[in-house]
Amino acid sequence: MRSARTSPASKQLVASKICKRFGPTIILDHVDLTVSAGEIVGLTGENGAGKTTLMRICAGLLRADAGAVLLGGRIGYCPQIPGLFDLLTTDDHLVMFGRGAGIGREESIRRGHAILAEFGYPLYEKKTVTMNLSGGTRQKLNLALALLAEPTVLLLDEPYQGFDRGTYVNFWDHCETWRTQGKAVVIVTHMLAELKRVDRVIELAPHPSRVHRWAEA
Amino acid sequence: MRTQRIAVMAEMHGRDLLRRRVALALLVVLPLSFYLASSDGGQGAVTLGGVGMAFAAGGASLFCVLSSRNADQRLVLSGYRPFEMMLGRLLFLAPLALLIAAGFSVVMAVGSHPTRPWVMALGVAVVALQSVPFGLAVGSAVPHELEGTLVLIGVVGIQLATRVDTVVSQALPFYGPRELLEASLTRSGAIAQPLLETFVYGTALLIAARLCVWRRLDVARHEVLPAPTIAGALKRAHGPRRRPPVTHLAAPVTSAARLAARDPSPIPRLLGQTPTG
Repeated sequence: MRSARTSPASKQLVASKICKRFGPTIILDHVDLTVSAGEIVGLTGENGAGKTTLMRICAGLLRADAGAVLLGGRIGYCPQIPGLFDLLTTDDHLVMFGRGAGIGREESIRRGHAILAEFGYPLYEKKTVTMNLSGGTRQKLNLALALLAEPTVLLLDEPYQGFDRGTYVNFWDHCETWRTQGKAVVIVTHMLAELKRVDRVIELAPHPSRVHRWAEA
Repeated sequence: MRTQRIAVMAEMHGRDLLRRRVALALLVVLPLSFYLASSDGGQGAVTLGGVGMAFAAGGASLFCVLSSRNADQRLVLSGYRPFEMMLGRLLFLAPLALLIAAGFSVVMAVGSHPTRPWVMALGVAVVALQSVPFGLAVGSAVPHELEGTLVLIGVVGIQLATRVDTVVSQALPFYGPRELLEASLTRSGAIAQPLLETFVYGTALLIAARLCVWRRLDVARHEVLPAPTIAGALKRAHGPRRRPPVTHLAAPVTSAARLAARDPSPIPRLLGQTPTG
């Protein structure tokens, strides 16, 4: 366990001594995670190591059994599986999520279109219901919804699934932009070739109790 | 702001349902077919019509909750309060149910020639209104669609199958509306008592739905750090890039699975292949 070597004043996300178990299975055991403004942290680990659980706890969608999370600003969370309404259009989603953040209808659509255009979203499909969109296009909308309220802390759980090559490269270029904008970014990723583009890599290994159980099996 | 969030929630659920044209048609056809299936046109037909109305409005409410389940917690994270989301659904579903009930009341009044047609219209409207909090409560309480559908079928079916004077019938949510519907066929049936019972039961269902939604959509509001000074962070961000340090948050080196496979940790190996410039 260790924390980032950053000045305390620039910290945007501090998760300390996070513990979580599901029934008898220990998922997280006193895990620390600190991310500063203008920093990109890559979170890696085997399947079931607890990456998504840690992200959900940081976002507030799951309560930790122990430990604390402190935030420096608004959070933007892009889940691994897009939680979208099948029969709502892109614009409907932008209006709905924007209103939650206190953004007006027109402004939500304007901001949303700007974000989507950056990721090569086919804006002629803005009136298409999401169930008729391709997986990659849905994922772009998923990412745009996380960015809509201009968060200072971005938690991205494998956000590029289904992206074509160009959009994928574009996504990592955007990470650089977010860094220069002073956002604190955590990206769950298995794309090890791209880890050179992050400031720190944190590998979350399965809790030893689970590893031993697998070995015995 | 709160009213705007509630209004947007109602609007989006409206858009969602209006794009389900088959479902929309079934919402109208279902109570009608229940009613028309009874040949006598009397008390049996009126009760069956009420059951059909309960299935239609209750089903619409149930699936309104269940279809948005994957997005609900994220909506709360974006700023909605669970109570606003529930009110938004109620704001859309209750008028929709009343609209269907109005048309259906006309058909029943023509077909059954009730002694007090306005009581029949009131009874159908009350069935429709009671079905909405019932569907919301079931949808918020059950884990999946199948369980919710079975609960809906079970409760409404038992309400239909049991005699109105039994304890079981009186304990179910559509007891008051059923009494009203049957009172419309006579000159002397009570009205105020069933209305009051329905109101109390409906309020209890809304409270139950609120509690279930609150529990399911619980989002932790984290404490806020002191305001950050990002100048230093930006300076660091624009500085020379270097190989990112790797931190192990548990003990991967001692991982029994990896040791057994004689496979070293993949991250340092792959990092070694990447340029650090």
